[in-house]
Amino acid sequence: MILVTGGCFQGKKDYAFETFQIARKDAADGADCAMEAIFEVKLLYHFHEYIRRMLQTGQEIDLEKLQQENPDIVLVTNELGYGVVPVDQFDREYREKTGRVCCEIAKRAKEVHRVVCGIGTVIKRA
Amino acid sequence: MLIVVTGGSGSGKSEYAESLVMRLAAGPKLYIATMYPFDEESHRRIARHRLMRKDKGFDTLECYTDLKHADVRAYDTVLLECMSNLIANEMYQEDGAGERSAEEILAGVEQVYGQCRNLIIVTNEIFSDGIDYDPETARYQRCLGNINRHLARTADLLVEVVYSIPLVHKGKTPWDEVSV
Repeated sequence: MILVTGGCFQGKKDYAFETFQIARKDAADGADCAMEAIFEVKLLYHFHEYIRRMLQTGQEIDLEKLQQENPDIVLVTNELGYGVVPVDQFDREYREKTGRVCCEIAKRAKEVHRVVCGIGTVIKRA
Repeated sequence: MLIVVTGGSGSGKSEYAESLVMRLAAGPKLYIATMYPFDEESHRRIARHRLMRKDKGFDTLECYTDLKHADVRAYDTVLLECMSNLIANEMYQEDGAGERSAEEILAGVEQVYGQCRNLIIVTNEIFSDGIDYDPETARYQRCLGNINRHLARTADLLVEVVYSIPLVHKGKTPWDEVSV
């Protein structure tokens, strides 16, 4: 797995398509794709939205299964958690969950890239 | 060594800070806990942290305000977790320092660090969500920002943790972290 993270509007998705030479048709949008798509596509962006949808429907992401069935997937996610603690309980939970899931993915990932102003830095290469 | 570990919420900064303590400590270890258990959610958070450091041999000192008077002389390495709670306590609790929060906390850090060999402080990045908060919250953000800058100026090591990956902004570790 490869994780690409960074703030919103930083060009993470473009960076990932270019860096990993993936065609747009082989990617899914975490905000509205079928939940099973994650096991098939080469790249999934808006991964934080995917986590939000999982949380809303009370599901857990099976990272073990993901690693086995789609070991080369590139996950592109907003880096959340750099703000004041949200007032709304679901927002707090969502922010926390995204952090924990991404920590776990970063530990399993062979590479983690962080994109600032469109420029990516490899912060982990296993 | 004075070390500052920062990062967003859920970034894995606590786990990393604990791992630093485990690598650096050559004697007794103390965890200074600053989260005041005011509701169920904070109880849950505290329980999670307790579980995480359960087998790591820490003593725990609960310190919600008045860090200046914490006695840590018996300890080699101290982990203070976390600055954002300590500031909220000082600013908003009845027995807190109120207007004088920042200077009291910095004096407290100096006192504590004067008594031990290593002090590791966990703090928080709450500055980049692009939202304009009410004046009170902005005052809190400013206070934390100021303290972070003061701490980083004297720290030997400043590390930001991004989804469990440490990025070194100041100083050097003998380990293989990424320098930025």
